[in-house]
Amino acid sequence: MKSRFAIAATLIGAALTPALAFASEGGSEERGTWGALVFYIINFSLFAAILWKYAVPAARNFFRDRATGIRATLAKADAAFREAEELANRAAERMAKLEAEKNQISSDLADETVYQIGRIYDLAREAATRIKRDAEQGATALADNANRRVRETLAHAAGKVARDLVLSNFVAGDQTRLVQGFVEKLGEEARR
Amino acid sequence: MKSSKVAKRYARALMGLSSDHAQLEAWGAELERLARIVDSPEVAAQLESPTVNHTDRMAALGKIAERLDLSFPLRSFAVVVASHGRVADVIAMSEAYARMLDDLMGRARATLTFAYQPTDDDLARVVAGLEAIAHKKIIPTTKVDASLVGGVVAELEGKIYDGSLATRLADAERRLSG
Repeated sequence: MKSRFAIAATLIGAALTPALAFASEGGSEERGTWGALVFYIINFSLFAAILWKYAVPAARNFFRDRATGIRATLAKADAAFREAEELANRAAERMAKLEAEKNQISSDLADETVYQIGRIYDLAREAATRIKRDAEQGATALADNANRRVRETLAHAAGKVARDLVLSNFVAGDQTRLVQGFVEKLGEEARR
Repeated sequence: MKSSKVAKRYARALMGLSSDHAQLEAWGAELERLARIVDSPEVAAQLESPTVNHTDRMAALGKIAERLDLSFPLRSFAVVVASHGRVADVIAMSEAYARMLDDLMGRARATLTFAYQPTDDDLARVVAGLEAIAHKKIIPTTKVDASLVGGVVAELEGKIYDGSLATRLADAERRLSG
């Protein structure tokens, strides 16, 4: 900032100095004197020297700094570009991996689905078999129970009929025969 | 259980007083008579009443024994039982004595239940059959139970010999019902 201000001040000073010189001389129309030429040469030399002394280094520094900045910016941009390229490559790789992973997951899911469907089918078949077996056993049990009840009822009725028949037809001789049979059984028991 | 052991001890003591079987038989009959009287509700209530003192109880049992015309050993036995406060156990003593006497005499008691009143011949045949099993003389006690329908049931030394029609019919009914 300081060097820029110095450059501007020198240029303005140099531009105004001949005018001031002309003004101090009264603005005469006089031309082509050697003194004026020397004056102009010296003036220009001073101007050039001052310009060379102060403005050129500043300009050189300015442009050098500017070039350095531009180079640094370019380097940064290049690095950023490379980094972006690397990121893009990595992203592409990741995308490729993700694609492979997606395909793998899809394949696994398909396999798992097939397995689960098979398992559900097996379970359903087992459940159906069990239900069928239970139903058959239940039906058999019910039938057996009904048969047993029928047999019991028939047996009870038969027993009652037999008892009534025995009671109505029983005679003294029957009792004697029963006693005789009992005594024979006792004899068998005694012989054991 | 304790009462049963006590009764056995008294019964054994009474049996130890003689080795004459006939006399032991007679004492058994006398003890049974005494037990029946002592076990009758009205006499038992009086003898076991807490209002009757020990001396009166002994005197009462002595008088009962005298009225029953029991032999001297049995009268003494009754007084000893009363003096030891064991009047309530007389019936158990009588039963224990009967069992011991049966063992001693080589005989057993059987309860025969007939569906109809048995003839002497039927009774004799059943008793003979039981004697063949027990190898002892059988003293039967006969009962009649129409629910047997026909036949006879004998109970001998804790074992049942069932020859009744009711049981046969029940077995047949059970077989039919499966």
